[in-house]
Amino acid sequence: EFHFGPCHVEGVALLELWKAFGAMKDIVVTQDKIMSVRLLKQEVFQNVSDAESCYLAHELLKFYLHTVFKDYYHKVVEFKIMKSFSTLANNLFVIMSKLQPRQENETVSIRESAHRRFLLFWSAFKQLNTEAALTKAFGEVDILLTWMGKFYRH
Amino acid sequence: DPGAVVPAPQNLSVHSANMKHLLVWSPVILPGETVHYWVEYQGEYESLYMSHVWIPSSWCSPTPGPECDVTDDITATVPYRLRVRATSGPRASAWSALKPPFNRNSTLLLPPRMAVRKDGSHLVIELEDLGPQFEFFVTFWRKAPGAKEHAKVVRSVGFPVYLGAMEPGAVYCVKARALVRAIARRSAFSQAQCVEVQGEALPL
Amino acid sequence: MPKPTNITFFSINMKNVLQWNPPEGLHGIELTYTVQYFIYGQKKWLSKSECRQINRTYCDLSTETSDYEHQYYAKVKAIWEANCSEWAETERFYPLLETQIGPPEVALAASEKSISIVLTAPEKWKRNPEDPTVSMQQIYSSLNYNISVYNTKSKRMWSQFVTNHTLVLSWLEPNTLYCVTVESFVPGLPGHTQPSQQCVSTLKDQTSTLKVK
Repeated sequence: EFHFGPCHVEGVALLELWKAFGAMKDIVVTQDKIMSVRLLKQEVFQNVSDAESCYLAHELLKFYLHTVFKDYYHKVVEFKIMKSFSTLANNLFVIMSKLQPRQENETVSIRESAHRRFLLFWSAFKQLNTEAALTKAFGEVDILLTWMGKFYRH
Repeated sequence: DPGAVVPAPQNLSVHSANMKHLLVWSPVILPGETVHYWVEYQGEYESLYMSHVWIPSSWCSPTPGPECDVTDDITATVPYRLRVRATSGPRASAWSALKPPFNRNSTLLLPPRMAVRKDGSHLVIELEDLGPQFEFFVTFWRKAPGAKEHAKVVRSVGFPVYLGAMEPGAVYCVKARALVRAIARRSAFSQAQCVEVQGEALPL
Repeated sequence: MPKPTNITFFSINMKNVLQWNPPEGLHGIELTYTVQYFIYGQKKWLSKSECRQINRTYCDLSTETSDYEHQYYAKVKAIWEANCSEWAETERFYPLLETQIGPPEVALAASEKSISIVLTAPEKWKRNPEDPTVSMQQIYSSLNYNISVYNTKSKRMWSQFVTNHTLVLSWLEPNTLYCVTVESFVPGLPGHTQPSQQCVSTLKDQTSTLKVK
């Protein structure tokens, strides 16, 4: 299960996410021609505290599910990878739904710190044209899963 | 009759045990015609974010019989909407949808089948292979008053797993239950199986 | 002029070697190759001087790709006299996910009825022998082992899942050859590891030899 600081998430096997993404990776990553831009830069995840991790995971997953996955679906159909996509999307949806980051006052500074990290990613995303940004973000799911894997307890 | 409407399949239901999920329905009878069925599914993500999207089932697009193994399609612990339609030649029925949607956390978990053996003075267990999502919580104890119960989580299946060393002349018993973390549930314990070690300790 | 083919990284314990095949149809011609690499998210292709106009069909880029949390591309072109081919490029290479974890070191010590097993995770590649050693365990903290024990006499095998580094097999049969296979794996990560196998014989049963005397 995942332990993003105080947020625990059961019911998702990380290996299943890797298998699903692995089935899509070659097709998707080769579409990304902009090598000089990395959206999930190391600064986004550098020294993330446990407390921050729940907020950052929730915000990233929400963006991926609401925007990247939804708006990239026409490519998913084109590449005929709907099944693997569905496995990945539904399992990430389970994680996002179960992450209930606390919203009390004393967590304001942690939330803001996590949000600044998210904005690093989001601003880089906004600088690219939409299609390129969606392709790059989807191709970087391995970077996202690698970071999430650091909070996975087997 | 080529113009006749193909009736939609009825009585959809899912039979699910040990994380194997079978969608079944009543067959559509069209005398003199060959009927095929097409199954599609949608997870909660698709239902919420792109409800127009339906994904063809891995094994039943199409299928001749009135059932479909959807195990490989149900790959997250969320409600899945499933639908079926019948076709005969170019004609197709309306879609019939499973109600309510199916969630794999409702699967029936059965106590695992196991074989308990002694290898010399070692207690060894072999558990049936139920798939990658299964682990087994195994407890074993020496059959003697006040004996302590030992526990072990076993992940390897299909070949013997070492549990512990046994003392000569003693009886040891084992029971196991299945654990599926993906749905955060476990089965009932199996019946205990016991083995006896002869007087002189025979090494492995 | 055709490009080199099958350009890939071969990576084990973070030793990352770029390898390729010569261009098709140019066998027997004295070709040389030049390699460049790119750190994903940075600005330009970089050269490795030791892999400029080389004859061999591989280039060790371990130093250049040692930050395993980065991702990389590499490319190679063939040169013959005044001609040179287009660049042939790799897929995006992610050492953290794609390196193979080599077999653990397995130390076996046998007595009459027991075998003690001590496992040591493989070492990460290092540039110089004097550099400090980094264990692959430090990179993959949840590195676990599955140990299978096979009695060559009774032809029986059983396995055991181990999270730490030592295990003592007791109540074994004296004077018997046991083969121990160790597979490492990282739960939650795809990836492939290499098993290692070693055999050791338990000692003769001293009590029976005394009786014989």
